[in-house]
Amino acid sequence: MVSLPVVLAVAAVLFGIGLYGALGQTNTIMVIMGVELMLGAAMLNVVGFLRYSHPDATSGAFFVLVVMTLMAVEAAVGFALVISAFRHSRTAEVDDLTELKG
Amino acid sequence: MSTLTPLGVLAVALGGAGCVAVLECVVAGTRLAPATMARLASTTVRQPLRRPATYDSWLFHLAPGLLLIAAVMALATVPWAPGFRGVDFQAGVILFGGALAYVTPAVFMAGWGVGTPLGVVGGFRWLALMLAYAMPLAMVVTAVAAPAGSLRPSDIVEVQHAVPMALVQPLAFALWLPAIVAVCFLPPFDLPQADSELGGGAFAGYGGLDAAIVWLAQRVLLVAVSGMTAALFLSGWHGPLLPPAIWMAVKTVGVATLVLWAGRRLPRMEVDRTLALAWKVANPLAIVAIVIAGALTLAFYR
Amino acid sequence: MSDLGTALVFWPSAAIMLVTALYVFITSSMARAGLLLLAALGIEGLIFVALASEFLGFLQLLMMSGEMVIMVFFMVMFMPDPGGLMGMDMTHDKRRSAAVAAAVTVALAAVAVLTDWPARVVGDDAPDVRAIGFEVMGRSMVTFLFAAMTILFAMVGGVLLAKAGGRYGIGAPLGEARGEPGD
Repeated sequence: MVSLPVVLAVAAVLFGIGLYGALGQTNTIMVIMGVELMLGAAMLNVVGFLRYSHPDATSGAFFVLVVMTLMAVEAAVGFALVISAFRHSRTAEVDDLTELKG
Repeated sequence: MSTLTPLGVLAVALGGAGCVAVLECVVAGTRLAPATMARLASTTVRQPLRRPATYDSWLFHLAPGLLLIAAVMALATVPWAPGFRGVDFQAGVILFGGALAYVTPAVFMAGWGVGTPLGVVGGFRWLALMLAYAMPLAMVVTAVAAPAGSLRPSDIVEVQHAVPMALVQPLAFALWLPAIVAVCFLPPFDLPQADSELGGGAFAGYGGLDAAIVWLAQRVLLVAVSGMTAALFLSGWHGPLLPPAIWMAVKTVGVATLVLWAGRRLPRMEVDRTLALAWKVANPLAIVAIVIAGALTLAFYR
Repeated sequence: MSDLGTALVFWPSAAIMLVTALYVFITSSMARAGLLLLAALGIEGLIFVALASEFLGFLQLLMMSGEMVIMVFFMVMFMPDPGGLMGMDMTHDKRRSAAVAAAVTVALAAVAVLTDWPARVVGDDAPDVRAIGFEVMGRSMVTFLFAAMTILFAMVGGVLLAKAGGRYGIGAPLGEARGEPGD
């Protein structure tokens, strides 16, 4: 049945998939998607601990709430950066955005 | 939640969709045409899987299913009577908002999947509009939940045993009504699929079983949002003489009739004006509504 | 939820979540990638519900739909091949990043499975919504305020970044039409 190691292992695999995307994709938006998956895996970890170790730890639930919100915020700022970079150099690929100047 | 709840929800869904179909004929002033409906039903049964040329047939054919699932999940959270409260989760109104939120990707999938330029434009217009309406919807739900001190829909019904929420928070009610009409993509907010807008827009390519499921999902959505309006704003099942379920049915039918009547009377606004109104007027006013709800809670609902 | 109920929901959901998450980076159609990510994170919300955190699960479902459709919007705007018709390869260092990801996964899973976690505490329900509300508004108010301020700064900063011409309104770079429509 489902127990804490199972949930943590599933979260570990999800984290690995997100890491593969964040490291291996060239487009900035795909990298953002990889980061979203990694944050999702972290949330799954916390929810697993909330269920199986500390059911009355409301601060854990609050942590998940904050991470969910910051997922959205980070994606929003990432998209704004993509817009800005695209305006400047007509590309959103991480391999081409290598200059800080300009 | 008992084991009969899913069956009850499905019964309400199908029965409600039928009632809405009857209501539409009543509001439009046309007579019920059983012959036409029988012909449509037989066409659907005989050619269920029309396979039009689509750009992305996976998304195209998954969209009606997602729409129906979202509609039924939204319907499941509505409390109909003290004995049949739907799936009575303690965070039920959040599930209602979350289920409605999946209408957005469903219509987008329909538009993108069909691949015609007008369809894709219809899908993207729908995205823009729903993103603008989704936030007032969620914020008004918060404003209504605050006096009840709970996110459970039946608790919100119970707190209105004396005064309906529509009288206590008229601003929230005024913001809620356009938002729910928009979620059901009914006129005057039917930009993604109106015939005169984009040649049918996002739903133009559907036929056979897919079109029937979209039709059913739209009706079930209307039943769900009307029921939730009655529960959250119109005191749900409270009322002087009739049994609770009857009151709930009366209020739901009233809200649905109002929505359908308004759809026939009000002109469709163009996309830019609708978006401007949603972002510049509705969102700030929704935040004001939450502040007002907080003040009301401290003053009266302790 | 009972143990059996949790297992019945968890195992298929976890399998679907992992498969759709992997397909996000395999598919070449950008709309599909965004919608597959929506499926993965939405099913994660379902897993939260199965693990007795209803409020967090429903919130996850609600927020992910909005976020992912925005992501699809941006992908269609900024990617060179949003429809996936040309089958471009959007990856670099595929083998090395896969190796790093696999190593990290194995390490984390080993920690997860091999650690001697404390015995399970009796009590099947995660904190209810009222308790989370009191926590947010009571003990964690400072954190909440900081998160709120971060969101506000991110919103303002994002709008400034996205504006053509930046915060001084100097004007769009060469090659773009001057002035924004509707100003």
